[in-house]
Order: sequence, then C-alpha cells, then structure tokens
Amino acid sequence: MNTAGHKHPLSHMIALINQIFAKIGFEFAEGPERELIKFNFDMLNVPKDHPSRDMQDTFYLDGNPEVVMRTHTSPVQVRYMQSHTPPIKMICPGKVFRNEATDATHEAQFFQLEGLMVDTDVSLGHMKGVLEYFFSEFFGGEVQVRFRPSFFPFVEPGVEVDMMIKKNDKNKLSGRWIEVMGAGMVHPHVLKGVGIDPDTYQGFAFGMGIDRLAVLKYGIDDVRHSYSGDLRFVNQF
Amino acid sequence: MKISTHWLQTFFATPLPPASELENLLTFHSSEIEEVLPVGDDMVLDVKILPDKSAWLMSHRGVAKELSVITGLPLKHDPFINIPQLTPKTEALTISILSPHCDYYAAALVTGVTVGPTPDWLKERLVAIGQRSINNVVDATNYVMFELGQPLHAFDADKLTNSAGQYHIAVRQAQTSEKITTLTGESYDLSENQMLITDGSSTNPLAIAGIKGGMTALVDSDTKNIILESAHFDRFNIRGTSKQIKLRTDASARYENGIPAGIAPVALSTVVTLITDIAKGNLVGFTAAGRIDYARPRVAVSLKIINSTLGLRLSMSEVEVILQKFGYHYEVTEGDIIVTPPWERDDLVVPADIIEEIGRIYGMDKIVSVPPQPAVVSAFNTRHYYAEKIRSTLMALGFSEIYTSSFRSTDIVHIQNALASDKSYLRSALHANIREVVEKNISHRDLLGLSAVKVFEIGTVFAMETESFHVALGVQSGTSYKVKVDDELLKEAQTAIEVTLGTPITWLGTADGVTEFSLDTLLTMLPPVTAYDEVHPRTLISYQPFSLYPSVTRDIALWVPVTTTAKVVEAKVVQAAGDLCVRVTLFDTFIKDDRTSLGFRLVFQSKQKTLTASDADAHMSAVYDACSKSGWEVR
Repeated sequence: MNTAGHKHPLSHMIALINQIFAKIGFEFAEGPERELIKFNFDMLNVPKDHPSRDMQDTFYLDGNPEVVMRTHTSPVQVRYMQSHTPPIKMICPGKVFRNEATDATHEAQFFQLEGLMVDTDVSLGHMKGVLEYFFSEFFGGEVQVRFRPSFFPFVEPGVEVDMMIKKNDKNKLSGRWIEVMGAGMVHPHVLKGVGIDPDTYQGFAFGMGIDRLAVLKYGIDDVRHSYSGDLRFVNQF
Repeated sequence: MKISTHWLQTFFATPLPPASELENLLTFHSSEIEEVLPVGDDMVLDVKILPDKSAWLMSHRGVAKELSVITGLPLKHDPFINIPQLTPKTEALTISILSPHCDYYAAALVTGVTVGPTPDWLKERLVAIGQRSINNVVDATNYVMFELGQPLHAFDADKLTNSAGQYHIAVRQAQTSEKITTLTGESYDLSENQMLITDGSSTNPLAIAGIKGGMTALVDSDTKNIILESAHFDRFNIRGTSKQIKLRTDASARYENGIPAGIAPVALSTVVTLITDIAKGNLVGFTAAGRIDYARPRVAVSLKIINSTLGLRLSMSEVEVILQKFGYHYEVTEGDIIVTPPWERDDLVVPADIIEEIGRIYGMDKIVSVPPQPAVVSAFNTRHYYAEKIRSTLMALGFSEIYTSSFRSTDIVHIQNALASDKSYLRSALHANIREVVEKNISHRDLLGLSAVKVFEIGTVFAMETESFHVALGVQSGTSYKVKVDDELLKEAQTAIEVTLGTPITWLGTADGVTEFSLDTLLTMLPPVTAYDEVHPRTLISYQPFSLYPSVTRDIALWVPVTTTAKVVEAKVVQAAGDLCVRVTLFDTFIKDDRTSLGFRLVFQSKQKTLTASDADAHMSAVYDACSKSGWEVR
C-alpha cells in the first residue's frame, strides 16, 4: 500500500496563484513573518493610535518592542518597493498572525495573498482587469468583479471587491456576488515613504485570505483544519 | 450606527426612495449596510461606518448629506451652513480650560426647566435607533448627538457651587487616583493622563470628559436649572482614557473618531432651542472658551490624475457636477481643480482624498476593466520553486503535507501576549510539531487506508534574532519493528530529497522516525531557476466534512473460488457492511488448492456517535451472512 501522498490545499493554491500571476508578469516575493513595526504599520500609513496595533489584535514579542508577528503581508510590499523601481508587479502570499479568538472561520495564523502593481498610469481599471483574470483562472469560468467604497489606511481610494462567477448549474458559488477582498490605490504617503515619487507613479494593491479562497473553492467547513495536521483533512486533497 | 429613515426624511423636502434603495445607494457610494430593520412604521438602516468617514458620518445629518450628494436631492436645511453666534453671552457661567486635551468648550445656562416625559415624536426617534428614553432634557441632548454627531451633556446647575452668582466649570486633568461615580453608579479611579469636567469652585468632578457624566450633577425630576455642555476634546486622549477605564460610550466613539470642533456651537444652539421648546425654561445665555479652526487647506487635483487613478474618462463638467452636489467651493484652472473642503471635512488633504470622493459618488462599480497582457516574470522565487520540488518528491513516496501552528508551549522566543499558555513561544524547529501530528494520526491509519503515517511540513522557524525556512518529515508505521521499518522509510525519503536537490543535506534532530533540515541554507548552492513547473488545477476534489468520532476496524478473510475476482467479493462486502462502513481495503491475497484467500479490512465510523465494538460486530455479522450465502467460506 504505497499510495501517493497529498499536497496541502494551501500549498496547491499558492502554487496555482503563482502560476496564474506569473503569466502576467507578477513576481512572487516573500518577507519575514516576524516583522519590524516600521514595515508592518508605520510605513503603511497606519496611524500610531490605530486599533489594529493594540495588544488584542497583534502579537508582540518579549524584549523586542520593535517587532510584531506580521498582521498582513503588506510589509513584503513595502520591502519590495524599497528595493525595486517601477514598473512593479508582484504578489506576496504568506503566513500572517492576528491575536484573535479562533472559530470555524477565524484562525490566529492564516495565509494571505496580497498583490501590487505600480507604474506611471496604473488605475483601478487595471486592477479590475487583473482581478477578473485571476479569479477566472482560479475558479475556472468567467468571473466578474465589482468595487464598493471601503477604507484601509494604506490605500486611497479604498474598495471592497466582490466577485461573481458566471451562472453555471454545477457551481454553487456561481451567479451571485461574493465579497472576497479589500483593495485600492496605494496611498501617496506609502509611495513617498518607500522612495517612489507619487507625482510620477501610482499603483494598486489588494489583499485577501487564502483560507477564504479555500473555503470558496473546496467548501472547507472549518479553516482550523488546515493547521491541525489532521490527515483526515489533508488526504482528501 | 442605526439610522432612522423617518429621521432622514426630515432633512429633505421631497420624499426619499424606499429603504431598500437607500441601502443600495449607500452600499455602492458610501458605506456598507449591515441590515435594514423595520421598527414600527419606520425603517432603520444599520450603517457600518468605517474609520475614514466616522468623523462626519456618525449622525443623521451626515447620512442625509451623503444621500443628498448621491441622489442629487437637495437638503431642505443643512445645519452646518450657518454657524450660530451663541448669543446672548452670560456672566453667570465661566469656563476655564486647564487641560491641553480640550481646545473648545461651550456651555449654556437654561433656568426654569420642567424635567418630565419626552414628547412622543422624539421618543419614537430614539427608540427606533435602539435608545432608551430617560427624560425630556437628557433625551434632547441624545437626540441632538444622533442628529448632528456632537456629544452633549446636561448638568443640574443647582448641584454646582454658585459663587457670587456665578457657576464655574473647569476642564482639567484628573489627579492620581481621583475618584468619580458616573450617573449610572459605577465608580472609576482615574489617573493624571485622564481628563475631567469639574466644578471650578469646589473642584469636584462632574464628568469624565468626553465619555460619561457623573452622579454629582445628575439631572433628575427635581432639576430646575441646567448647564448644557458642548465641547471638543482631543481624539487620542479620549480614546486612551476610554481604553484604560474600559468604558466606551456613544460620546467617546464620536470624539475618538475625530469629529470636527465646529459642530460644537451648532449642536449647543440646537439643543437649547429644543430644550426650551420641550422642557420650557429660559435661556440665560452662553459662554465659550477656546477656539475652533474652520480653515481647511485647499487641495489641487488634475482631471488627468482623477481619470488615470480611477480608470475612467470623466469630463471636467462631470467632475464639477459631483463637486457641486457636495457643495464644495472649488476653482477650475487649465485642467486643475482646486477644492476648498468645508470645515466639517478635515479628512480631505491630499489629491487622492478628492479622487476617492469623486470616484465613489460617480460609482466605483462603473469602473471598466483593462485586461492584463501576458508577460514574463523578471525573477523567480527559488524558495517556492525548490519547496515545490520537495513536495513532489515526498508525495511520490506517500508523504502528505501538513501545516502546523507556529506557536509552541515552550521554546526560545516568548510571545508577550499569547492566546494561551500552550501557545506562548514561537517554534524554533518543526520536528516537535511533526512528532505530535504523527502520533495523532496513528489512530486514523485504517480509516485512511495507510500502512504508515508519513507527513512533512515546510515552514518558518524562529531563533532569537533570525528566522528560516525548514523542511521536516516524519514516519510512523505503528509496527513492532518500528526502528527497522520507520528508519528505512525515512532514509528512503531523505535520499530522494538529496537526489532531487542534487546536494547532500545536513539533517537536524533525526530521531524516532522524524528529521528536519533548513532549506534556506541550501538555496544559494542550488542551480538558478529558469521556469516554474506546471501546476495542474485539481478539478476532481470534492471535500467532505469528516467525522470527529473514532472509527472501529474489523478484518475478514475468505476462501473464494479462483474464478471469483476480488472486485466482485469486495462489492458484496461493501454492500453488506452498510453505510457506516467508510472504507474497505484488500490487504492480503494468496492462492492455495484452487481457492483464493482474500483478506479485507473494514473501517466503521459514524458521524453522530462513537461506535462500540458491538455496533461493529453487528455489521460484521451481516457481512459474514452475505458471504456465506454467496458460498464463500469465512476463514
């Protein structure tokens, strides 16, 4: 009985995401999971008193007041923008940490997918095109995307992104709008902070939970299964 | 925030669209609506107000203004257009601002009020948005807060010191351990970074500034003379105090979101008019201290940038129409628009802020997508590439990939605010987690049809200063020849990885069928990546929630004629075993004397309960019967 093993759905999705974005020239970047506050908050235009910095939302480490467990993969964007010059096209999937109670839809550690594109004339229209391309490839079938006004400190304008998979009787997700991610145009303060001139360059950034993608794609009933090491879960994939 | 549509209607001369349409309009142009609730004949919208809009949207005036801009229906009256002068002034009331966290404090003295029940119309408004009616004076202050967004407070003037015909209010920092009892009876011990409203003569605390009133000057049914407060406090100080004393109120929520100081005189004038109407009484006069900054810096933005940011092709006149609906002052010069934000909008500072306003009112849903063009990446992620290679290698040997927690109960790096005591350190290696996972999965071997549990993880581990990407693998066959079997399987996997990467590996902590290595230290030695391997979408996955109850295993061995295939027998066994049999595995076959011996392992599991041995035996006897009836001999 030497049957083939199973790839974890998160790894499969990250590899698939990378393949989809690589085809349109987006590089797969990474950064540390234990991150400087400077990169996780300060350079992302998150105000000093912002609630997300509170102890109840962010893990801090003993004896090192400068660092946190990163709460999003946005610091990878900051580091990437510091070390690259536009045009920039990148994605940064990775593990993130939030100090919150866990339940079937929340884990204190989970995976995020973020992406960034910066050039002289990048607009929300480009973002819409990139996201429609990504979701269509990822879910298989034509996917529409729409934006609603929202707010995140590191973008302006900020939007909430809904997607709709074209109606298809075989797909329970199809034919209805589903809220999937937050996004927007990179805030000029963020660009300026990493040394990119906001009068010349502009760009979009987006972010979403890969665990949420798994719930949508595979109908996973409890996001905690992904981190349990339980083969009753993994071996279904 | 709960918003009553009846209340909203009072701002408009023409009828507003129905609540369902208001929900839609606000969702796509302003803010998400959590729910729409009927309350009596009113419809109430629960608006989720995000931090960037909280300074000016947490009120009925704020939402009415948004709807006016979105729909183009003019406001019948906008209370923010004319700032009242707060006259007459009175000498009977003096204010001292002694705290650096208060920049404006206005108050009014109203005498001869009759505290009593609140008129029905006002009560209905408050009840619709989930507020409790207290008395006409308190309700009036609450009403004006929900109307305009400015917290207000009423003090019973006779409970303050009247010194030579004067009441004196002082805004000051609390002293260490200074105590106050709020109007609902809770006591708080304050510290010197927290701010109080006090009786300037007696120095007694009257309220926790910006958060909640005190018991001392409570307005009750005997109250005749009142002092009404409308002030502006520093958002950071209020947020800090609110967090420190764990008391968040409708007032503190507004201050901490940075409401503009300019609302204070508007709200004070409004509440005085309302109270002298519904509670009678006479206005003696106003007093104010501090100053309000109404000036807003101008923001210039070009039409070109508006369009190139939003991905739209708006004309200058389309942009102007939107700015006119906002009522913003603006000038147009050669493709540039220079906007002077109104005093109540101090969040419009950079061009992107104006672009967002134009975009959302025009409609973010109208943005047209620009499809991306095929392109190649200029750099490959070698870590991802080689991690994928390792995954394929291990999967081919029957290893399944797991992800485990980055937290451990003890290790090197301590988390200051851990979720639980068994999660208070960052993992410095993967092998401990792998060991636990292998142990945990041993009991699922039969259920999963595995001869051995073989797992691996690729993930980050943390030393005191550095972090690195490790690969760990673990094997447990559960046999009594553990060392021989497990170590052999592990060795096979280690060799396979070394072959895949084409380099010898320094294995760490190898013991009990578990081993680990650092991928990061190898990466520089590996050949550069020139293309990613193709990933095939998995179309056949159909995930099923699994039962958390333990399974029960039973084996059966049968003699069948050599002409009877194992497949036929298995089908019969599966059918006879019933729905609780979740797996049948053929584990043994041999032929002797023209008969085939087949050994099957059956696993029973329920989604509702823990199966007992006798539950399983009952199903097995059905299997025995069915086999006997088919003429097969149970060994």
